[in-house]
Amino acid sequence: MTRAGVFGASAMVLDPAFLCSSAMAQTSKPMVFLSAENITGNWDPTAHTTLSQKNVEGFVMGFLTRTPMRLDDPEKTNYELATSIKLLDEHRLEIKLRNDIKFHDGKPFKAEDVKATIEYGALPDRPAQWYPGPTSGLTITTPDDYTVIIDTTKGGYPADLFIFLASFLPIMSATDVKGGPSGPLTQRLNGTGPFKFDGQKGNSTVLKANMDYFHGAPKISEIHFNFVGDATTRMLSLLNGEASIVERLEPEQVATLTKNPKIKTSTIVSVENKYLWFRCSKPPFDNPLVRQAACHAIDRASVLELLGSAGHESSNFVSPVKFGYIDLPNYPKFDPAKCQELLAKAGFPKGKGLPPLEYIVSVGFYPKTKEYGEVITGMLQEQGFPVTLTVLEPAAWNERLYDRPGGGPGHMIDCGWSTGSPEPDLVLRTHFYSKSKRICGIVDPEIDASLDKERNAPTLEARKKILQTETMPLLADKVPALSLFTSVMIHAMQKDLDGLFIYPDGSMDASKATNG
Amino acid sequence: MEILSFLARRIAQGLVIVFLVSGLIFTLLRVVPGDPVRLMAGGMAPEALINEIATKMGLRDPIPIQFMRYMGHVVRGDLGESFVRPANGASTGGSSFDDSTRGARAKVLDLIGETLPMTLQLAGVAVAMALVISALIGIPGGLAPGRWPDRLAFYVSSVFISLPNFWLGIVLTLLLSVKLGWLPAIGYGGFAYTLLPAFVLAVELSPVLIRTLTGSLASIMQEPFIAVGAVRGLSRRRIIANHALRNASVPLLNLLGVQFSGLLGGVLIVEYIFDYPGLGLLTINAVLQRDFPLIQGIAIVTSAIFVFINIAVDLAATMIDPRLEY
Repeated sequence: MTRAGVFGASAMVLDPAFLCSSAMAQTSKPMVFLSAENITGNWDPTAHTTLSQKNVEGFVMGFLTRTPMRLDDPEKTNYELATSIKLLDEHRLEIKLRNDIKFHDGKPFKAEDVKATIEYGALPDRPAQWYPGPTSGLTITTPDDYTVIIDTTKGGYPADLFIFLASFLPIMSATDVKGGPSGPLTQRLNGTGPFKFDGQKGNSTVLKANMDYFHGAPKISEIHFNFVGDATTRMLSLLNGEASIVERLEPEQVATLTKNPKIKTSTIVSVENKYLWFRCSKPPFDNPLVRQAACHAIDRASVLELLGSAGHESSNFVSPVKFGYIDLPNYPKFDPAKCQELLAKAGFPKGKGLPPLEYIVSVGFYPKTKEYGEVITGMLQEQGFPVTLTVLEPAAWNERLYDRPGGGPGHMIDCGWSTGSPEPDLVLRTHFYSKSKRICGIVDPEIDASLDKERNAPTLEARKKILQTETMPLLADKVPALSLFTSVMIHAMQKDLDGLFIYPDGSMDASKATNG
Repeated sequence: MEILSFLARRIAQGLVIVFLVSGLIFTLLRVVPGDPVRLMAGGMAPEALINEIATKMGLRDPIPIQFMRYMGHVVRGDLGESFVRPANGASTGGSSFDDSTRGARAKVLDLIGETLPMTLQLAGVAVAMALVISALIGIPGGLAPGRWPDRLAFYVSSVFISLPNFWLGIVLTLLLSVKLGWLPAIGYGGFAYTLLPAFVLAVELSPVLIRTLTGSLASIMQEPFIAVGAVRGLSRRRIIANHALRNASVPLLNLLGVQFSGLLGGVLIVEYIFDYPGLGLLTINAVLQRDFPLIQGIAIVTSAIFVFINIAVDLAATMIDPRLEY
């Protein structure tokens, strides 16, 4: 072969186009969502409380209802798998279902699926524990294939608690549930939603359009739900067009992105409040006076100023988009004199005699947490609290987060709590009831009694009244945690991504969305 | 025969190094704060369950016993299973304590096997780019000591060494990917996704290579055998290509072996910035999740690679310059 022949042959083999081809040439049309949080290793919806995985479920699974939870109408409900939900009496709820729906594996959706989902999810050994009581307190009957009656008489709590939960609990197939916690539920998602679970490859979850979706086939053919831990990387990927939408933007990133003509942002007051949790089961925060004093030392207005667009002012333990929210008149306000008075009353004048205290915050997941952690530490120190700040990356922080016998690590810890339903007990009962007390570790019979009273109220109106006039004010007096603010969910997306509806917990309805 | 004895000696030394590195990493992982069992079992897990799982997994035994048990598996080719990743390899979080159904966990060897080729591709392209950059700048500099090509080589290597790789990665992505749209940057969707991160690594590698090449070439060009080449009637091009560069490449080759260890540090940051699915990104996530078996497996594999590369470099150097002893 001649030299020219050698070059000719190599030219046939090597395609130099890859060296200069556009990035866009390799970017396909699916909607690429970059998540700030990783998923768990188990697809069973009852096995986790992880927000990113709830977001994936939002695309794939079907729900009896959906609640948009906007500030102007927080209790609005849209019917999905259910056609009506009616309270027959205090303890019986009737749910009528659509009769034209199939699961992604082809199984027709029926009342047995709702029954199986609730009976399985309410088992005491299921980790997520979203239900007001265990399966043993429920009697669920299915008079026909499309009617479900939930009877809570045995549990002793009202059936209306299931009204808000209906918008939050993904409905599983009875066949899958029959396989139990080691069966097909763990291996993949099988729902009735607009997108089908196609597979998991490394950090990418691939979903494909469900052409038989009952509201009509989605226009987007695929969704790639990718975990990308670094905020800058997520933003760069959006800017170069490889990502369609990214979440958990820092306020500075919002300022940069709003100047870009190809990008639009979405800001929604979320269901997530951020809290400073006191470790109530060990000194000194086992004393309510010390907790109150610490709350009066913190100027929440300064924290909000630092957060900028990522925070929304609220004065309650739940988000303003949750059922029962009011600005509590007795919610602790910044008042150094009151702080000193309470410290003296607790036996620690000007903080003298308090043990060294540790405040734990995370960095890398929630926006600006390290920054406001420093501010709060300074405020507490100014009033005499001997506090040191510990900043941890998410895995180490998560390892220290929850209550343990004798009290969780440190004395105060930062964490947000987000549940995609107007139901306030998903926060209040989860955290402040003595049998649950996930983070703060509080055991207080008075709070328990008030939480039981509001749960057992015969009507939603009566429940709202008890929440607003008794339970929530009681919590504001005892402050097992201080809710600092409500998070604002900020997403940025390509301008040509239209029709996407974002719920206040970050889950999305992409069934009517178009991507370019 | 000599070469076999060299290989046997170096492989034995290499095994000792890998063993010591493994022991060091194994011990350090167990003394740093953060209980991996709590991460596996979930924050809500009761203390009794944590201790039960830890005891069952042997994580409460003395460290030397744990290490010997671990090495017993390693010599049989079993690097264990990830503490947290499922068999599909996804990076996970938010587990719960009484969830015994998380499915099969990923084998460490499989996770490394999937990501190592990606990193080797990245490292290979980065080294190739670094050698091209070094040759283009370093050879003219070495042939003209004290003149402008030499000064240019000095300035370029000074600038390159001053650029932090994370900063350069972000700036190049903004310029070449966001503004100009010439190259893809984030994730991996084909070979083109390797170019930008490889260039960032090449910029990191180049300064030392440029300075070494410039210095060694300048020094060799002063040697008597170079002057004799002209007397023998050899052309300058042939003297440089066949004699000067061949001799100058020996220190460069030795340096490349050392540079590979530096490359791993760069790969960690660059893969994270570019979300490049290689061993570096796997390592960072494993560290953040306290995934001990995965960190240990990566440490063993990377130290074995370093040992192998250094043996290969020494072997190649003795082939280029037969005066060097095995």
